[in-house]
Amino acid sequence: MKQLLVLLALAMPALGLAEDLSASQLAGQKVFAHRCGMCHREGGTGTFVLARRLGAAQSLLEQRTDLQPETIRYVVRWGLTNMPRLSRVEVPDPDMNQLVAYLTRPRPAAAP
Amino acid sequence: MKLILPPGVSRARFEQALKAFASVVGPEWVLATDEDRETYLDVYSPGRDTSHAASAAVAPASVEQVQALLKIANEFRIPLWPISRGKNFGYGGAAPRMAGTVMLDMGRMNRIIEVNDKLGYCILEPGVGFFDLWEHLKSNKIALQLGIPGNGWGSVVGNALERGFSPAGDHSNNICGLEIVLPNGEVVRTGMGAMGDGKAWPLFKHGFGPSWDQMVVQGNLAIVTKLCLWMKPADEAAISIEIKLPKPSDLQWCVEALAPLRLQGVIDGLVRLTSYQASATVPTLRNQWYQGSDSIPDDVIAQMMQRMNVGWWNGPLRLAGFSDVCEANLKRVLERLAKFTKQEFPVTRMRGDAQPGPTTYPLQMVNWYGGRGGHIGYSPVMPADPKLVQEQFERTRRRYQQFGLDYSGTFYIDGRAATNVNLILYSKDDEEQKQRVRQLFEALIKDAREQGYGEYRTHLSYMDNVAASYDFNRNALLKLNERVKDAIDPNGIIAPGRNGIWPKAYRAHRGVL
Repeated sequence: MKQLLVLLALAMPALGLAEDLSASQLAGQKVFAHRCGMCHREGGTGTFVLARRLGAAQSLLEQRTDLQPETIRYVVRWGLTNMPRLSRVEVPDPDMNQLVAYLTRPRPAAAP
Repeated sequence: MKLILPPGVSRARFEQALKAFASVVGPEWVLATDEDRETYLDVYSPGRDTSHAASAAVAPASVEQVQALLKIANEFRIPLWPISRGKNFGYGGAAPRMAGTVMLDMGRMNRIIEVNDKLGYCILEPGVGFFDLWEHLKSNKIALQLGIPGNGWGSVVGNALERGFSPAGDHSNNICGLEIVLPNGEVVRTGMGAMGDGKAWPLFKHGFGPSWDQMVVQGNLAIVTKLCLWMKPADEAAISIEIKLPKPSDLQWCVEALAPLRLQGVIDGLVRLTSYQASATVPTLRNQWYQGSDSIPDDVIAQMMQRMNVGWWNGPLRLAGFSDVCEANLKRVLERLAKFTKQEFPVTRMRGDAQPGPTTYPLQMVNWYGGRGGHIGYSPVMPADPKLVQEQFERTRRRYQQFGLDYSGTFYIDGRAATNVNLILYSKDDEEQKQRVRQLFEALIKDAREQGYGEYRTHLSYMDNVAASYDFNRNALLKLNERVKDAIDPNGIIAPGRNGIWPKAYRAHRGVL
């Protein structure tokens, strides 16, 4: 049971249980998991390269609070350093809007 | 990327064709902005991006839509380049061979139609990725194994159709039946699927008469809409033997030791031996080890091996199956190795289903020089003969040194043949270095040809060179392929130039980059 709780706690950010997400943000979270997660979650190659370039604190995109909509749109379509580009078949415009909504969602202020 | 029109097609005709495509798939699935074209470029290309620039992309959602698109492509003479998911990195990514070709992006056709654990197969559409199939297997607790290539981001179907492989072997060998759409729009099912409701379609490869699956693999005769793939039941147990050989010359005896065991079936998968470099390129940057612009010298290599705790040649050797059989096979492997070396090899035992899932981690290697990087693979097939393998390695490494590039090679030893995958990494923004990469690549093709070895797969930019190296009776096989191509695809609309096969409409583009 204890193990299960630990697992649940670990999974919470990925499942969206930690935050109240709007329908669009929740949809964006699914887009992220499906289209970005293989490189940009814990242990992924994108996370590794970002940590090397910007430091560990900036390496997990879902935890970033400084991502701008235009930056996200640009990097998805034009890539960045070694990141390949994703077409509108892979991430259609409506999915991109949801992805942006998710990655730029307002966060609760950090506890003092 | 600015528009490059398909050869011989006016701007007005092109726009008309796109409109006709949109009437089939809906306007949102015809992608023709400069930004759209950019997303289909080969970002890792060693040459000019414009050599393989698409003019647009169109994405069907059904077999009927594929048929309708082919009709329009024939009418307007629009060449189409089918991609499954477009992740053929190192070989051209999502890009077409001929500039101006329209991408036929099959990514929306992404259904897992069936996975059968009793008879060991799956039926997939082209858009299904390794991650998708892996998740499906895990979430449904299906005890089948998936052969996963280094880059797990791509399509299972696309990988098999490119003859991609993993330590489990050549994935195209597992194809058992296809559904294809011919250039004239006719839908064909191969093998036992040629029988309406043929019950053994995914079970028996050949059906009655000539077998067509391999006519489509690495070819350009048809669009694949469904692929049946054999999958192996999960093993009970697995044993990993850590092979770590200190000297470059250890390759020869290791091949002599292990190739016969592979041929006898004691070793079930391919024997993989990878040079030290692969351990460095993923987690580190080159400038952490060496700043020179020549090939990394031996003293630095020695430091790298020591700091990373790797050998010159490395490879986990995997034995899998029933645990008692694994133990017996382990004994045979260790006895055989002991005939050649006093070195001990650590052994790890694990559950047979403890197979690692797909990953994109190896893609990180393109960062080797920092900044924007690229990679290209040169992979000739040769005999699994110890002396010849050693010579192939030494000859290839000398070429890397001649052109000032870092050697990175892997030998996949099958019982009879060995595939020698050589990875060439470079900076995308260093034109002088990319020039050396192209010179190296051409020298390697020439060297291999002189030995009677040929590549099993290559980058778009080298398809013509490699096809030319298959030169028995003045390239009689290529001529045969092109006669068949012209008969089945008279307007040459499907993937002109793929693997060097040019339809008559575009034959003047052979060699044009």
